[in-house]
Amino acid sequence: MRKVRIIARLDIKGQNLIKGVHMEGLRVIGSPAEYAHKYYQQGADELIYIDTVASLYGRNNLSDLLERSVENIFIPLTVGGGIRSVEDATRLLRSGADKVAINTAAVANPGLITEISRRFGSQCMVLSVQAKSIGPKKWEVFTENGRERTGLDVLEWIQKGIQLGAGEILLTSVDREGTRKGFDVDLVRAVAEQTTVPVIASGGMGNVAHLVQVAKEGLADAVAMADVLHYERLTIGNIKEEASSNGIQLRKYAKS
Amino acid sequence: MEKIQYPEEVDLSKFQTDEPNEVYYGLPKKVAFCKKCVISNQRPNSAVEYKHTKDSKKATIHFDENGICDACNFTERKRHTIDWNLREKQLRELCDKHRKTDGSYDCIVPGSGGKDSFYASHILKTKYGMHPLTVTWAPHVYTDWGWKNFQSWIHAGHDNYLMTPNGRVHRLLTRLSTELLFHPFQAFMFGQKSLAPKMALLFDIPLVFYGENEAEYGNPIGDTESAQRDWSYFTVEDKSKVFLGGVSVQDLTEQFGVDRNDLQPYLPADPTQIQKKGIEVHYLGYYLKWHPQSAYYYAVEHGGFQASPERTPGTYSKYNSIDDRIDDFHYFTTGIKFGIGRASYDAAQEIRSADITREEGVALVKKFDHEFPERFADEIFSYLSLPDTEFPTASKMFEKPIMDREYFRLLTNQFRSPHLWKFEEGKWRLRHGL
Repeated sequence: MRKVRIIARLDIKGQNLIKGVHMEGLRVIGSPAEYAHKYYQQGADELIYIDTVASLYGRNNLSDLLERSVENIFIPLTVGGGIRSVEDATRLLRSGADKVAINTAAVANPGLITEISRRFGSQCMVLSVQAKSIGPKKWEVFTENGRERTGLDVLEWIQKGIQLGAGEILLTSVDREGTRKGFDVDLVRAVAEQTTVPVIASGGMGNVAHLVQVAKEGLADAVAMADVLHYERLTIGNIKEEASSNGIQLRKYAKS
Repeated sequence: MEKIQYPEEVDLSKFQTDEPNEVYYGLPKKVAFCKKCVISNQRPNSAVEYKHTKDSKKATIHFDENGICDACNFTERKRHTIDWNLREKQLRELCDKHRKTDGSYDCIVPGSGGKDSFYASHILKTKYGMHPLTVTWAPHVYTDWGWKNFQSWIHAGHDNYLMTPNGRVHRLLTRLSTELLFHPFQAFMFGQKSLAPKMALLFDIPLVFYGENEAEYGNPIGDTESAQRDWSYFTVEDKSKVFLGGVSVQDLTEQFGVDRNDLQPYLPADPTQIQKKGIEVHYLGYYLKWHPQSAYYYAVEHGGFQASPERTPGTYSKYNSIDDRIDDFHYFTTGIKFGIGRASYDAAQEIRSADITREEGVALVKKFDHEFPERFADEIFSYLSLPDTEFPTASKMFEKPIMDREYFRLLTNQFRSPHLWKFEEGKWRLRHGL
C-alpha cells in the first residue's frame, strides 16, 4: 500500500519565508529556519525549500540560508530555485539538501536533468513543474514562479523529463496555489497515471479533505502544503491524525 | 484642423549627441531617482485630461531636499503619523450620515472588478453596512481574465452598471490620443474619472467612493489632506474648452464626423449640478490604510479574484491593472515619454509597501522595464486603424488611416525626448539608469 508523504513547503525570497496567492503578491511570513524547525518538530516527513525569485532576479541559491536551517533537521530536504548547473546542485547538496528541484533551468536546458541524474542519481533530481490550466485536461508549463509561459504541455514535458532522468515530480498548480480551494486533482491524476516516478501534489490545500481527495482520487504520492501551516490554520499533527482516520496510509512519525 | 500626416523619421542627430538640449513635456532636464523607491523625477502628476493637448506641459512628482519622492514621504505618514483609528471613525460617521435603509443605494463605487475596487465595494457593503451601486466604464478591449474578474466581482454580491461607449467613437478617440498625445489610454480615463459622478447625478446618490488617492503614487502630497477628490478631474463649466484625444469637440464633430451625442459619455459633469445635488466624491484610501497587495488577498479570499495567467509585458506583476488589452500600450507609451516603464511603477509601489526591497526593485526594473508589448500588438494596431468602410469621414483626416507596426515605430520616435533617449549603435537606450 502506498504511503503518502506529508511535506511542508517553504518558499523563500531573500532571507524570508514568503507566501503568495497564485504565486503572486508575495507576503513576508518570517524566518525560514524557524518555520522549518517547527514543521520538523511537528512531524513533517520532508521539507521543500524553494527560492521563488532566484530566476527572476538572476541570483543564486540558498546554500548559506540552508546551512543555517538544516542543523537540527533530520528529514529529507528538497531544495530548488536558481539551479542552473551541476555545480549549483553540488553546492546545495553539500550544504545539506537531499534532493534538488529544477524548473526554469530544466526548461531552458533539458540536458541538465540528465547531467544531474547521472551524477547524483535520479532520486536526487526532482523536476519542478508549475502548471496552469489552459483548457479541459490541458495544462501549460510556466517558469519563473508562474510568470513566464513556455508553450510546453505539462503531460508531454513531464514524460520527457522522466526519460531524461527525473526521479520525482513536484507538481504545482498555479491556479490553486495559495487559494485554499483544494488541489487540481485532475492535473495530479493525469500526471500520476502516466508516470512511474513519485508525484508530489502542491498548490491549493485548505483542509484535510483536500489532502484525502488528492491522495485517493489524484493518486498523489506526497502532498506539499504551505498556507495551512504558515498561517497556523492546521498543524502537521492535526493533518496526520485526520488523514489517517480517513483511510490514508502515512509514514510512522518517529522523531529522533 | 489639418489632415494628420504620416510620421516622418526623426532627426537622429539630436539623439546621438552627449549633450542633448531639448526637453519635451516640460519635464525636469536633470533626471533623478528617488533614493527610497525607484521612481524618477520625470513622473508626471495626474492631469485633467479635458485640457490635454499636444502642447500641454506636465507637472511632475516632487522630491524633497533629501532626494526622496512625495509618494515615499506619504508612505511614512501612512505608517507613522496618520491616526488610522480616527480616520476609520470618520468613515463610519460618513457612512452613518449617508446610509439608506429604504432599499435604495447610498453610495457609488466605480471600478473594474480589479483587486482595489473589489476591496472597496465589498468592505463598504459587508463591514460598513452600505448599499453600494458599482459602476464600470468598460476597458477598450477586455482581457479574458479581466472579464472573468469583473464577473466575479458582481457575483460576490454587487449590483453593477457597465457603461460601454460606442466602439467606433472610442477607437477614433484612442487613435487621436495615440497619434497626437501618445496616450492610448486617454479615452478610458475620461470615463474612469467622470462616469461615477455622472451616475451619481443620474441616480441621485450623493456619495461616491474612489479607492486610493493618486497622491499615494506621487501627486502633490497636499492632496492627501482631504478625503475629497478635486472637482477639476470630473467637471467642467465651459464645454467648448473640452479636448478629447487632443482635438476640440468642435473639430471632432465638424471634421471627424462624430455626432455630438456620441461624445456624451466622454464629457465631464456639470459642476453646478454636482453642487446642487451635494455630490461628494471621496477616496476610501483616505479613511482606510491602502495596501494593494492586501486588496489582492482580500479579493481572492472573498470573490475568487484571479491574477492574470502570465506577467504583463514590461513588468513582473500579475495582479495589477490587468483588465484591458490596451493597458500594455499605455505603460509602453508613458515609458517612451517619461522614461519610466511599468516595472518601475509596480516596483516603486511594492517597495513603499515593504513587499520588496529596493535592491529587488532595481533588479526588476532592469529586467523588465520598457519591454515592447508584443502579446496584443497586432490586435491593438488593428484597433487603432480607421478603415474608410467603418470611418468614412474620420479616415479622410489621416494621410494613412491604417496603423501598422512601421507606423507605430515612427510615431513612437516622435515622442522620445532627447534628454531621456540616446540612439547609438542602431538602438534606443535611456540615458539614465538606476
